[in-house]
Amino acid sequence: MIKLIEKIEGEAKLNFNFKDDKIDFVDVEFMSTRNIENILRDKRAFDALVINPRVCGICGHAHLIATVEALESCYNNLQLSNKAKAIRELTLNFELIQNHFKWFYLTMLPFFGHKQQILKATYPTQLMGKAIAALGGQYPHTSYAVVGGVVCEITQMDIIKIESYITQTLKFVEDNLVKVDSKTLLACKDADALLDFSGDLPEILIEIKKRDMLNHAKSYDRFIAFGENSFFKKGKSLKARVSHSISLKDVKESEVPSSFAKNVSYKDKYYEVGPLARAMVNKTTLVVDAHKKYGDSLFSRILARVFEILELLNHSKKLIDKIDLDEPSYIEPEFDISKLTSSGYSAVEAARGTLIHKVELEEGIIKNYEIITPTQWNLSGGTREKPGVSQKAMVGLSDIKTAELVFKSFDVCSVCTTH
Amino acid sequence: MESNSLFNKLSSRLEELSNLPKLDEEVSISKLVEEKGFSRREFMTWAGAMTSMLMLPASFTPLVAKAAELADRLPLVWLHMAECTGCSESLLRTATPSIDSLIFDYISLEYHETLMAAAGWQAEENLEHAIEKYKGRYILMVEGGIPHGQSDYFLTIGAHGKTGEQSAKDASQNAAAIFAIGTCSSFGGVQAAAPNPTNATALSNVTNRPVINVPGCPPSESNIVGTLFHFILYGTLPALDVYNRPKWAYGLRIHDACERRGRFDAGEFVEEFGDEGAKNGFCLYKVGCKGPYTFNNCSKQKFNQGTSWPIQAGHGCMGCSEPDFWDKMGIVHEPLGDRLYHTTFGGLGADATADKIGVGILTVTAIGIAAHAAISLVKKPKE
Repeated sequence: MIKLIEKIEGEAKLNFNFKDDKIDFVDVEFMSTRNIENILRDKRAFDALVINPRVCGICGHAHLIATVEALESCYNNLQLSNKAKAIRELTLNFELIQNHFKWFYLTMLPFFGHKQQILKATYPTQLMGKAIAALGGQYPHTSYAVVGGVVCEITQMDIIKIESYITQTLKFVEDNLVKVDSKTLLACKDADALLDFSGDLPEILIEIKKRDMLNHAKSYDRFIAFGENSFFKKGKSLKARVSHSISLKDVKESEVPSSFAKNVSYKDKYYEVGPLARAMVNKTTLVVDAHKKYGDSLFSRILARVFEILELLNHSKKLIDKIDLDEPSYIEPEFDISKLTSSGYSAVEAARGTLIHKVELEEGIIKNYEIITPTQWNLSGGTREKPGVSQKAMVGLSDIKTAELVFKSFDVCSVCTTH
Repeated sequence: MESNSLFNKLSSRLEELSNLPKLDEEVSISKLVEEKGFSRREFMTWAGAMTSMLMLPASFTPLVAKAAELADRLPLVWLHMAECTGCSESLLRTATPSIDSLIFDYISLEYHETLMAAAGWQAEENLEHAIEKYKGRYILMVEGGIPHGQSDYFLTIGAHGKTGEQSAKDASQNAAAIFAIGTCSSFGGVQAAAPNPTNATALSNVTNRPVINVPGCPPSESNIVGTLFHFILYGTLPALDVYNRPKWAYGLRIHDACERRGRFDAGEFVEEFGDEGAKNGFCLYKVGCKGPYTFNNCSKQKFNQGTSWPIQAGHGCMGCSEPDFWDKMGIVHEPLGDRLYHTTFGGLGADATADKIGVGILTVTAIGIAAHAAISLVKKPKE
């Protein structure tokens, strides 16, 4: 039996194949592309700084940072101030946080019989958008990160503003997501202890338990994260065994005949990316405990994503404390990019997982540009014998509604994927 | 028009609207605003800000407040075409207090692919249902360029295998008003940049109905919400420039109302990012600001609830609300001044008034820019 769900943020199709009333395969097709990689070809290197954030309005900032870092990696010995690094990391954190809120309130809650809470999604989202704008000028689609640093010359007043946005967002978390003070929650090591709290997150976790969904959405239990910064570590986790020596050379993209989105694998195997993957690589105690009890399931995935909000807010406060306003925001590269023939790459952690950019320059002109988005990792359209991560997570389920919940627990983003 | 007669005209428009049935009899905007903890005073403050944004006298504030309360009479259909969803993201950041969020997202929005909870068959049914039920009454907002001609099979969705282009055409047919939200829908946008692999084009190129363009990549939330409010209040289309952009928002160049304009006039320029000029907020023209060629109200409305805008953060304007963005607004971080005669509008450059493009005006402005720019030292040559 084949059933269709033709709308995944507008532009993708799932073909559900049933056998004995259970899903035995789900074919994923993307029917659209904008072909941004083709548009980038033969353009000036810095054009990518304007075009790439427009790959995705939902994680456009991650694309900006990935672009600037890919271009910077084409230089030898390019200097960046710690201030510029910290400011870039802060804006990326804020983008992740606001995405996590929207996913939880706009996408996840309605699956559990709750009304979609637009205002709860927009309030913290607006705060984080303002925090990004205070540094980058606007959100989405800021252009403040340039090769050599950032262009904003922030003052102590800006710092105070950003701290206030963080405090207000933390208050929202404590008043709504988990009704407990954030220090207690950050110190929590037992995933089951969360079920004793009240708030929107515990309610959903309790609901998962009550509905007997603790084993739902299990996939390969293989995680990977390539983005590295002062908070995230690079590495892979195989059934909780973590290794940090991984190389982008082993990442492969492959075409799918029925879809415009390419598959992505690491050493020919599909890996999950995203907040759960990051928490497993970072060995976040609370999430590792959830994984120990409930595996790479819906429970662990939702918990990891919401808990990351709190961790990133907390880490952002520490980052702000370290900013030295006297440092330069921008250090001019030694020579003009138009004289550069080189290649480079970058990997950053976007809201939905690892985002990779690769660039080849010939005298400052882009000869090749490749973008691998997080959704490509999680949504790779594999075969019956070797399904992709989200495909595997849906096998064995008996109804489409639950399959859709499982599918959306990966927070698929079709705009990014169909770049 | 005298303000009295305008007041009367808007009042009768609102009177007409109030006779229309509500989208949902159970919910009223004024009750909802109250339930969400906004006092009448806060609501009126918000209405006052909206009044000023629409360039109406302060005495019109009660009318704008009434228009907000009547927004639940006008259903809204929002379609996604070839785009990045940045415009929807911008909309999600509508002004504080979240009164516009209430009005825009919570009540009026009949169909929005990102915000609505429905998916699959149900979503498509919702769209068809909204178009049929509210024939001639719904407002259509389209985000994204339209894959056109040989590429029109992109975005084919649904049980009927409708192409994106067909969906846009069908929804346009019976809309009370059509707004192209963002540069992609207005002019094709980034995916229409050379070589335009998907043959993306403007919404106005695939429908014969009038389309109001609200460009920007993304447009500010104020311009999106303001456009809607203008229609609710007037019931007619706003005054437009040559590119069908509402004059109230796109009537002036970025340069005209830029907070760094005084620096430009004084010949104080940032020569490179991070220099003393950058630290002191000098003009960004020499590091590639396209403000003199771009029509938008960014400097006045700003983004993210008035928090900031690109120039405030130290980066020049990129001309994202002009036709042919990205192709005609390069080079990034380099002034456009010397290329004026090879840019948009058949070689005339964007450097003219919004509704009157003339070589004379262009020349005067070009000379002006060149003269001002020359006051400062010549840009330091790169190594």
